[in-house]
Amino acid sequence: MSMAAERTGGRRPGRHRAAALALLAVAWLAVLLLAPLAGSQPVSLADVAAGDPVAEAIFWRLRLPRVLLALAAGGALAVAGVAFQTLFRNPLAEPYTLGVATGASLGAVLALRFADPATVAGFAGVAAASFAGALAATALVVGLAVSRRGVETGTLLLAGVAVALSSSALILFVQYLSDATQTFRMVRWMMGGLAVVGYRDVAWAVPWAIGGSAVLLASRWELNQLLTGEELAASRGVDVSRLRLRVLAATSLMVGALVAVTGPIGFVGLIVPHALRRWVGHDHLFLAPAALLAGGAFLTLCDLAARTVAAPAQLPVGVLTALLGGPFFLWLLFAGRR
Amino acid sequence: MSGEPFVACRSLGWETRGRRIVGPVDLAVDAGECVAVVGPNGAGKTTLLRLVTGLLAPTAGELRLHGRPYAGLSRRELARAIAYVPQIRPARVPLTVEEVVLLGRHPHLGRLQLAPRPADYAAVGEALARVGIEALRGRPVDELSGGERQSVYIAAALAQEAPLLVLDEPTTHLDPRHQAEVASLLARIARSGHRTVLAATHDLAFAAVVAERVVALADGRVAADGPPSEILRPELLGELFGARFELAGGGARPVPVLRIEGGP
Repeated sequence: MSMAAERTGGRRPGRHRAAALALLAVAWLAVLLLAPLAGSQPVSLADVAAGDPVAEAIFWRLRLPRVLLALAAGGALAVAGVAFQTLFRNPLAEPYTLGVATGASLGAVLALRFADPATVAGFAGVAAASFAGALAATALVVGLAVSRRGVETGTLLLAGVAVALSSSALILFVQYLSDATQTFRMVRWMMGGLAVVGYRDVAWAVPWAIGGSAVLLASRWELNQLLTGEELAASRGVDVSRLRLRVLAATSLMVGALVAVTGPIGFVGLIVPHALRRWVGHDHLFLAPAALLAGGAFLTLCDLAARTVAAPAQLPVGVLTALLGGPFFLWLLFAGRR
Repeated sequence: MSGEPFVACRSLGWETRGRRIVGPVDLAVDAGECVAVVGPNGAGKTTLLRLVTGLLAPTAGELRLHGRPYAGLSRRELARAIAYVPQIRPARVPLTVEEVVLLGRHPHLGRLQLAPRPADYAAVGEALARVGIEALRGRPVDELSGGERQSVYIAAALAQEAPLLVLDEPTTHLDPRHQAEVASLLARIARSGHRTVLAATHDLAFAAVVAERVVALADGRVAADGPPSEILRPELLGELFGARFELAGGGARPVPVLRIEGGP
């Protein structure tokens, strides 16, 4: 009886998950405090507090906004990954599945080629254009997939692939029309990075990350229902079509807003949710906040590595996540198969 | 309220691309009944069940729950009255038995509620006990056999605490032992008096022994409707399915068995 009671202790997984979440929160805070101190030029908190002008400038002006943006962007990408994998019931779905990244890239590339370089230098023009591109691509994909019977998953995926391929072709075409300097900037933008950031970028990114995550968290019961299929979910009162539209809109807006300032950063939305599902399980009540914390911490650490491994040169973090992501993802895939 | 049937279909119809799949169907299911819907493939059994559960909106006629038209009910209200066990479910479900059964509590959870309440866990425990799968509680559903998995989804439907249980082919694809187990589980649920059961099935033994009423569906319409002894006659079944049957078992509830030509 006691063994049965132990095995059947209904609340135990919940406690384990709450502990995991608390651990992630501590790790996240540690990353927030320590990552701005590390780098090619280490800085100590004592120097910053003492008012050392160089230490202050490095900490407050250069590194803290960069870390904050990495926390927001990584968190948003991981949260979006959770949402996409659940919505499409596909472990390979990721935040860019519906063509958000290529749409954003097309917008950025067009701005870099055709906009006045004077305004482009401030990067606001490129960011605005890539945000518009991301939204246009998502709207196109969802618009193509809407039918009389709601939004269908298979059509969404295919429309996403088609729009991404078309955008890629257009990007190549625009690149062909560009000169060497413009092409170089386009390629660098598409590598995804956190190099040029100020608090304006942070102030833009954080509300999107929090807002998108909040929508996901508010839809947690319904998203959990999708784990046993749409038919059962609908029979229990979930409006699956509306849920899909709401979550897709929120996550695509969030990812589009972040990609606009960071460029596309791959694999965070794939690796982090996979690892988390194994650790904290599939309940979105825990999974959504865990993804926000773990994704942010993961991207910040990647960025820390990217700006130190080749110091004083700074690797774009998108290159590093792609380098890490491919093999790690394969490992997860095949470890899970066994 | 007591005068109204639990669910009533009035000239109910559903068509897609100009092709009529169901209807017109007039059918009333009273509280406490155990009804089996039989008929050949393509007769519209699943479509009829999906209409009754509210998953499909009828293209003709209407449905009423205790006399109230479905159109005036929210999805949540319907989900509190009707639980569904579909035949087709995702192949991979990364959850434990308890987590799957807990999902049945969805119509009772509030948007602002952070975690399931003790009452939800109590309903889950009760459902697991009634189905007799308490020992499987912490096991991943993907590791279970087909029969055990069917029991898990029936437990989830019980945890939903909806008075009407709608099941699509509950015993299909199960080996004989699990067929018998799931059938007797449904018999217990039906006889308990707390649930109304509506099941589409090809399992004529289930229809003969468990059901109190059999509805024969052909081309989307009700071809015959009555107690098993009246409907499950070899002549009627032969006409319905285009195959030959004979009765086996005798007694109060003989079971129709398919006759196969060419044997020794």
